[in-house]
Amino acid sequence: MPSAPDTHSLNTLVHKLQSIATLSDEERQAILSLPARTRILAPRQDIVHDGDKPSQCCLILDGWTCRYKMLSEGRRQIFSFHIPGDIPDLQSLHLHTMDHSLGTITQATVAYIPHESMRELSTRFPRIGEVLWRDTLVDAAIFREWMIGMGRKSAFGRIAHLFCEMYLKLEAVDLAGDHRCPWPITQVDLGDALGLSNVHTNRVLQEMRGKGLISLRGSTLVIQAWDELMRASEFDPTYLHLEKRAA
Amino acid sequence: MPRFYIDTDDGVFPVRDDVGHEFASVEAARNMAQRALPDMARQKLPDGERRTFTASIRDENGTVLYVATLSLVGEWMVPRSTA
Repeated sequence: MPSAPDTHSLNTLVHKLQSIATLSDEERQAILSLPARTRILAPRQDIVHDGDKPSQCCLILDGWTCRYKMLSEGRRQIFSFHIPGDIPDLQSLHLHTMDHSLGTITQATVAYIPHESMRELSTRFPRIGEVLWRDTLVDAAIFREWMIGMGRKSAFGRIAHLFCEMYLKLEAVDLAGDHRCPWPITQVDLGDALGLSNVHTNRVLQEMRGKGLISLRGSTLVIQAWDELMRASEFDPTYLHLEKRAA
Repeated sequence: MPRFYIDTDDGVFPVRDDVGHEFASVEAARNMAQRALPDMARQKLPDGERRTFTASIRDENGTVLYVATLSLVGEWMVPRSTA
Protein backbone atom coordinates (compact mmCIF):
# COMPACT_ATOMS: atom_id res chain seq x y z
CA MET A 1 0.00 0.00 0.00
CA PRO A 2 1.72 3.21 -1.15
CA SER A 3 1.41 5.73 1.65
CA ALA A 4 3.50 8.81 0.81
CA PRO A 5 1.57 12.08 0.54
CA ASP A 6 0.87 12.43 -3.13
CA THR A 7 0.55 15.96 -4.53
CA HIS A 8 -0.13 14.67 -8.02
CA SER A 9 -3.22 12.82 -6.81
CA LEU A 10 -4.61 15.95 -5.17
CA ASN A 11 -4.63 17.66 -8.54
CA THR A 12 -7.70 15.52 -9.20
CA LEU A 13 -9.49 17.33 -6.37
CA VAL A 14 -8.34 20.77 -7.55
CA HIS A 15 -9.57 19.93 -11.04
CA LYS A 16 -12.96 18.80 -9.76
CA LEU A 17 -13.47 21.82 -7.49
CA GLN A 18 -12.53 24.12 -10.35
CA SER A 19 -15.31 22.58 -12.41
CA ILE A 20 -17.83 24.06 -9.95
CA ALA A 21 -15.95 27.13 -8.59
CA THR A 22 -12.87 29.32 -9.04
CA LEU A 23 -9.83 28.86 -6.77
CA SER A 24 -6.92 31.24 -6.11
CA ASP A 25 -3.28 30.06 -6.42
CA GLU A 26 -2.96 30.05 -2.64
CA GLU A 27 -6.10 27.95 -2.26
CA ARG A 28 -4.89 25.51 -4.90
CA GLN A 29 -1.54 25.18 -3.08
CA ALA A 30 -3.30 24.53 0.22
CA ILE A 31 -5.32 21.70 -1.33
CA LEU A 32 -2.23 20.23 -2.98
CA SER A 33 -0.40 20.12 0.35
CA LEU A 34 -3.12 18.12 2.11
CA PRO A 35 -1.77 14.85 3.50
CA ALA A 36 -3.25 11.98 1.47
CA ARG A 37 -2.53 8.28 1.43
CA THR A 38 -3.50 6.40 -1.67
CA ARG A 39 -4.73 2.83 -1.97
CA ILE A 40 -5.77 0.69 -4.89
CA LEU A 41 -9.00 -1.19 -4.25
CA ALA A 42 -10.48 -4.18 -6.07
CA PRO A 43 -13.82 -3.90 -7.89
CA ARG A 44 -17.00 -4.49 -5.83
CA GLN A 45 -15.29 -3.77 -2.51
CA ASP A 46 -16.64 -1.61 0.31
CA ILE A 47 -14.66 1.54 1.11
CA VAL A 48 -16.82 2.65 4.04
CA HIS A 49 -19.63 0.57 5.58
CA ASP A 50 -23.04 1.65 6.73
CA GLY A 51 -22.61 2.34 10.48
CA ASP A 52 -18.86 3.13 10.35
CA LYS A 53 -17.46 6.19 12.10
CA PRO A 54 -14.71 7.25 9.69
CA SER A 55 -11.85 9.57 10.65
CA GLN A 56 -10.92 10.33 7.05
CA CYS A 57 -12.56 11.28 3.77
CA CYS A 58 -11.89 9.47 0.57
CA LEU A 59 -11.11 11.20 -2.71
CA ILE A 60 -11.59 9.09 -5.86
CA LEU A 61 -8.50 9.32 -8.09
CA ASP A 62 -9.31 6.61 -10.58
CA GLY A 63 -12.23 4.27 -11.23
CA TRP A 64 -15.93 4.42 -10.33
CA THR A 65 -17.64 4.04 -6.97
CA CYS A 66 -21.20 4.19 -5.72
CA ARG A 67 -23.09 4.98 -2.55
CA TYR A 68 -25.73 2.40 -1.66
CA LYS A 69 -27.79 0.79 1.03
CA MET A 70 -28.73 -2.89 1.41
CA LEU A 71 -32.31 -3.93 2.16
CA SER A 72 -33.80 -7.30 3.06
CA GLU A 73 -33.63 -10.23 0.60
CA GLY A 74 -30.44 -8.88 -0.96
CA ARG A 75 -32.18 -5.86 -2.47
CA ARG A 76 -29.89 -2.90 -3.01
CA GLN A 77 -30.57 0.77 -3.71
CA ILE A 78 -27.73 2.74 -5.28
CA PHE A 79 -27.97 6.48 -4.52
CA SER A 80 -25.18 7.88 -6.63
CA PHE A 81 -22.27 7.04 -8.89
CA HIS A 82 -18.90 8.72 -8.28
CA ILE A 83 -15.99 9.40 -10.57
CA PRO A 84 -12.46 10.77 -10.13
CA GLY A 85 -12.39 14.08 -8.26
CA ASP A 86 -15.42 13.25 -6.12
CA ILE A 87 -15.27 12.88 -2.32
CA PRO A 88 -18.35 10.69 -1.89
CA ASP A 89 -18.09 10.49 1.90
CA LEU A 90 -17.42 14.18 2.50
CA GLN A 91 -20.50 14.25 4.73
CA SER A 92 -18.66 12.07 7.29
CA LEU A 93 -16.77 15.25 8.21
CA HIS A 94 -19.94 16.51 9.90
CA LEU A 95 -22.21 13.44 10.15
CA HIS A 96 -20.10 11.09 12.21
CA THR A 97 -21.92 7.79 11.63
CA MET A 98 -22.27 6.57 8.05
CA ASP A 99 -25.96 6.06 7.17
CA HIS A 100 -25.11 4.17 3.96
CA SER A 101 -22.14 2.38 2.38
CA LEU A 102 -19.63 3.46 -0.22
CA GLY A 103 -18.13 0.82 -2.48
CA THR A 104 -16.13 0.42 -5.67
CA ILE A 105 -17.69 -0.56 -8.99
CA THR A 106 -14.44 -0.90 -10.91
CA GLN A 107 -10.94 -1.23 -9.55
CA ALA A 108 -10.35 2.17 -7.99
CA THR A 109 -7.54 4.30 -6.64
CA VAL A 110 -8.59 6.39 -3.68
CA ALA A 111 -6.76 8.96 -1.56
CA TYR A 112 -7.61 9.07 2.13
CA ILE A 113 -7.50 12.56 3.65
CA PRO A 114 -7.76 12.85 7.46
CA HIS A 115 -10.85 14.72 8.68
CA GLU A 116 -8.58 16.83 10.84
CA SER A 117 -6.71 18.11 7.78
CA MET A 118 -9.95 18.87 5.94
CA ARG A 119 -11.18 20.86 8.95
CA GLU A 120 -7.91 22.82 9.21
CA LEU A 121 -8.06 23.55 5.49
CA SER A 122 -11.55 25.00 5.65
CA THR A 123 -10.71 27.01 8.81
CA ARG A 124 -7.59 28.53 7.20
CA PHE A 125 -9.29 29.04 3.85
CA PRO A 126 -12.97 29.73 4.44
CA ARG A 127 -13.52 30.01 0.69
CA ILE A 128 -12.45 26.37 0.25
CA GLY A 129 -14.96 25.51 2.97
CA GLU A 130 -17.56 27.32 0.87
CA VAL A 131 -16.57 25.41 -2.26
CA LEU A 132 -16.89 22.09 -0.40
CA TRP A 133 -20.27 23.25 0.85
CA ARG A 134 -21.20 24.12 -2.72
CA ASP A 135 -20.13 20.62 -3.78
CA THR A 136 -22.43 19.01 -1.20
CA LEU A 137 -25.28 21.27 -2.36
CA VAL A 138 -24.73 20.14 -5.96
CA ASP A 139 -24.77 16.58 -4.60
CA ALA A 140 -28.19 17.31 -3.06
CA ALA A 141 -29.39 18.82 -6.36
CA ILE A 142 -28.44 15.57 -8.09
CA PHE A 143 -30.46 13.61 -5.52
CA ARG A 144 -33.47 15.83 -6.28
CA GLU A 145 -33.17 15.00 -9.98
CA TRP A 146 -32.95 11.27 -9.19
CA MET A 147 -36.07 11.64 -7.04
CA ILE A 148 -37.95 13.23 -9.95
CA GLY A 149 -36.78 10.38 -12.15
CA MET A 150 -37.83 7.59 -9.82
CA GLY A 151 -41.08 9.25 -8.88
CA ARG A 152 -42.24 10.58 -12.22
CA LYS A 153 -40.23 9.41 -15.22
CA SER A 154 -40.44 6.34 -17.40
CA ALA A 155 -37.62 3.80 -17.37
CA PHE A 156 -36.50 5.25 -20.70
CA GLY A 157 -36.43 8.78 -19.23
CA ARG A 158 -34.51 7.66 -16.14
CA ILE A 159 -31.81 5.84 -18.08
CA ALA A 160 -31.47 8.61 -20.68
CA HIS A 161 -31.21 11.20 -17.88
CA LEU A 162 -28.46 9.26 -16.14
CA PHE A 163 -26.51 8.94 -19.41
CA CYS A 164 -26.69 12.73 -19.90
CA GLU A 165 -25.77 13.42 -16.26
CA MET A 166 -22.76 11.11 -16.08
CA TYR A 167 -21.51 12.26 -19.47
CA LEU A 168 -21.49 15.93 -18.39
CA LYS A 169 -19.90 15.10 -15.01
CA LEU A 170 -17.15 13.14 -16.75
CA GLU A 171 -16.67 15.83 -19.38
CA ALA A 172 -16.28 18.46 -16.63
CA VAL A 173 -13.21 16.63 -15.31
CA ASP A 174 -11.87 15.87 -18.81
CA LEU A 175 -12.72 12.16 -18.72
CA ALA A 176 -15.17 12.32 -21.64
CA GLY A 177 -15.61 14.16 -24.91
CA ASP A 178 -17.32 13.93 -28.29
CA HIS A 179 -20.34 12.34 -26.61
CA ARG A 180 -18.26 9.31 -25.73
CA CYS A 181 -17.45 8.22 -22.18
CA PRO A 182 -16.42 5.22 -20.11
CA TRP A 183 -19.42 3.22 -18.88
CA PRO A 184 -18.43 0.46 -16.42
CA ILE A 185 -21.93 0.23 -14.91
CA THR A 186 -23.65 -3.14 -15.39
CA GLN A 187 -27.35 -3.57 -16.11
CA VAL A 188 -27.85 -4.77 -12.55
CA ASP A 189 -26.18 -1.60 -11.18
CA LEU A 190 -28.31 0.53 -13.46
CA GLY A 191 -31.51 -1.19 -12.30
CA ASP A 192 -30.48 -0.89 -8.64
CA ALA A 193 -29.81 2.84 -9.12
CA LEU A 194 -33.00 3.65 -11.01
CA GLY A 195 -35.47 1.29 -9.31
CA LEU A 196 -35.93 -0.91 -12.39
CA SER A 197 -35.95 -4.65 -12.87
CA ASN A 198 -32.90 -6.03 -14.64
CA VAL A 199 -35.03 -7.43 -17.46
CA HIS A 200 -36.73 -4.11 -18.15
CA THR A 201 -33.42 -2.23 -18.00
CA ASN A 202 -32.19 -4.58 -20.72
CA ARG A 203 -35.32 -3.89 -22.80
CA VAL A 204 -34.83 -0.14 -22.62
CA LEU A 205 -31.15 -0.37 -23.52
CA GLN A 206 -32.02 -2.54 -26.52
CA GLU A 207 -34.68 -0.05 -27.56
CA MET A 208 -32.20 2.85 -27.31
CA ARG A 209 -29.66 0.91 -29.34
CA GLY A 210 -32.31 -0.11 -31.87
CA LYS A 211 -33.32 3.51 -32.40
CA GLY A 212 -29.68 4.52 -32.86
CA LEU A 213 -29.69 6.82 -29.80
CA ILE A 214 -26.71 5.22 -28.10
CA SER A 215 -24.16 2.50 -28.52
CA LEU A 216 -22.79 0.60 -25.58
CA ARG A 217 -19.84 -1.61 -26.44
CA GLY A 218 -17.30 -2.99 -24.02
CA SER A 219 -17.21 -0.33 -21.38
CA THR A 220 -17.78 2.65 -23.65
CA LEU A 221 -20.98 4.61 -24.01
CA VAL A 222 -21.45 6.66 -27.15
CA ILE A 223 -24.40 9.04 -27.13
CA GLN A 224 -25.33 9.22 -30.79
CA ALA A 225 -28.39 11.42 -30.37
CA TRP A 226 -27.63 13.85 -27.54
CA ASP A 227 -30.50 16.26 -28.24
CA GLU A 228 -33.02 13.44 -28.49
CA LEU A 229 -31.87 11.89 -25.19
CA MET A 230 -32.02 15.30 -23.49
CA ARG A 231 -35.50 15.93 -24.83
CA ALA A 232 -36.85 12.46 -23.98
CA SER A 233 -35.52 12.61 -20.41
CA GLU A 234 -36.34 16.31 -19.81
CA PHE A 235 -32.69 16.81 -18.97
CA ASP A 236 -31.72 20.36 -18.01
CA PRO A 237 -28.06 20.54 -16.88
CA THR A 238 -28.62 23.59 -14.63
CA TYR A 239 -28.70 21.37 -11.50
CA LEU A 240 -25.09 20.29 -12.07
CA HIS A 241 -23.98 23.93 -11.67
CA LEU A 242 -20.91 23.42 -13.83
CA GLU A 243 -18.80 26.60 -14.05
CA LYS A 244 -17.32 25.92 -17.46
CA ARG A 245 -20.76 25.43 -18.99
CA ALA A 246 -22.12 28.60 -17.39
CA ALA A 247 -19.16 30.66 -18.67
CA MET B 1 -26.14 -22.41 -11.19
CA PRO B 2 -28.52 -22.89 -14.14
CA ARG B 3 -28.75 -20.23 -16.82
CA PHE B 4 -32.15 -19.04 -17.98
CA TYR B 5 -33.17 -16.62 -20.70
CA ILE B 6 -36.03 -14.20 -20.18
CA ASP B 7 -37.77 -13.01 -23.35
CA THR B 8 -40.22 -10.14 -23.13
CA ASP B 9 -42.83 -8.53 -25.34
CA ASP B 10 -45.01 -5.47 -24.76
CA GLY B 11 -47.02 -6.08 -27.93
CA VAL B 12 -44.91 -3.63 -29.94
CA PHE B 13 -41.30 -4.37 -29.12
CA PRO B 14 -40.32 -8.00 -28.54
CA VAL B 15 -36.91 -8.53 -26.94
CA ARG B 16 -35.15 -11.86 -27.09
CA ASP B 17 -32.64 -12.43 -24.30
CA ASP B 18 -29.46 -13.68 -25.95
CA VAL B 19 -27.26 -13.42 -22.89
CA GLY B 20 -29.30 -14.99 -20.10
CA HIS B 21 -28.72 -14.83 -16.38
CA GLU B 22 -27.63 -17.34 -13.77
CA PHE B 23 -30.29 -18.08 -11.20
CA ALA B 24 -30.26 -20.12 -8.02
CA SER B 25 -33.46 -21.84 -9.20
CA VAL B 26 -36.15 -21.63 -11.85
CA GLU B 27 -38.37 -19.99 -9.20
CA ALA B 28 -35.84 -17.16 -8.92
CA ALA B 29 -36.06 -16.76 -12.72
CA ARG B 30 -39.85 -16.70 -12.44
CA ASN B 31 -39.63 -13.88 -9.88
CA MET B 32 -37.35 -11.92 -12.21
CA ALA B 33 -39.78 -12.45 -15.13
CA GLN B 34 -42.75 -11.27 -13.04
CA ARG B 35 -40.88 -8.23 -11.77
CA ALA B 36 -40.31 -7.06 -15.35
CA LEU B 37 -44.04 -6.95 -16.17
CA PRO B 38 -45.13 -3.93 -14.08
CA ASP B 39 -42.06 -2.02 -15.31
CA MET B 40 -43.08 -2.77 -18.91
CA ALA B 41 -46.68 -1.74 -18.23
CA ARG B 42 -45.61 1.51 -16.53
CA GLN B 43 -43.52 2.38 -19.57
CA LYS B 44 -46.37 1.92 -22.05
CA LEU B 45 -49.65 2.83 -20.33
CA PRO B 46 -51.90 4.68 -20.91
CA ASP B 47 -52.15 3.53 -24.53
CA GLY B 48 -55.42 2.16 -25.88
CA GLU B 49 -57.73 -0.33 -24.16
CA ARG B 50 -56.10 -3.64 -24.97
CA ARG B 51 -52.54 -4.56 -24.32
CA THR B 52 -50.73 -7.72 -23.35
CA PHE B 53 -47.31 -7.88 -21.75
CA THR B 54 -45.48 -11.17 -21.58
CA ALA B 55 -42.27 -12.46 -20.05
CA SER B 56 -41.18 -16.03 -20.68
CA ILE B 57 -38.36 -18.22 -19.47
CA ARG B 58 -36.25 -20.44 -21.72
CA ASP B 59 -33.64 -22.92 -20.56
CA GLU B 60 -30.32 -23.55 -22.25
CA ASN B 61 -31.88 -26.12 -24.60
CA GLY B 62 -34.39 -23.55 -25.83
CA THR B 63 -37.36 -25.15 -24.06
CA VAL B 64 -39.88 -22.57 -22.86
CA LEU B 65 -40.50 -23.36 -19.19
CA TYR B 66 -42.76 -20.56 -18.08
CA VAL B 67 -44.83 -17.70 -19.51
CA ALA B 68 -46.28 -14.84 -17.44
CA THR B 69 -48.87 -12.56 -19.04
CA LEU B 70 -50.14 -9.23 -17.77
CA SER B 71 -53.20 -7.89 -19.62
CA LEU B 72 -54.84 -4.52 -19.83
CA VAL B 73 -58.54 -4.61 -20.66
CA GLY B 74 -60.14 -1.16 -20.64
CA GLU B 75 -63.85 -0.78 -21.33
CA TRP B 76 -66.15 2.27 -21.37
CA MET B 77 -69.44 1.81 -19.51
CA VAL B 78 -71.16 4.78 -21.20
CA PRO B 79 -71.60 5.52 -24.91
CA ARG B 80 -68.69 7.45 -26.45
CA SER B 81 -68.75 9.38 -29.69
CA THR B 82 -65.81 8.24 -31.79
CA ALA B 83 -65.76 11.39 -33.96
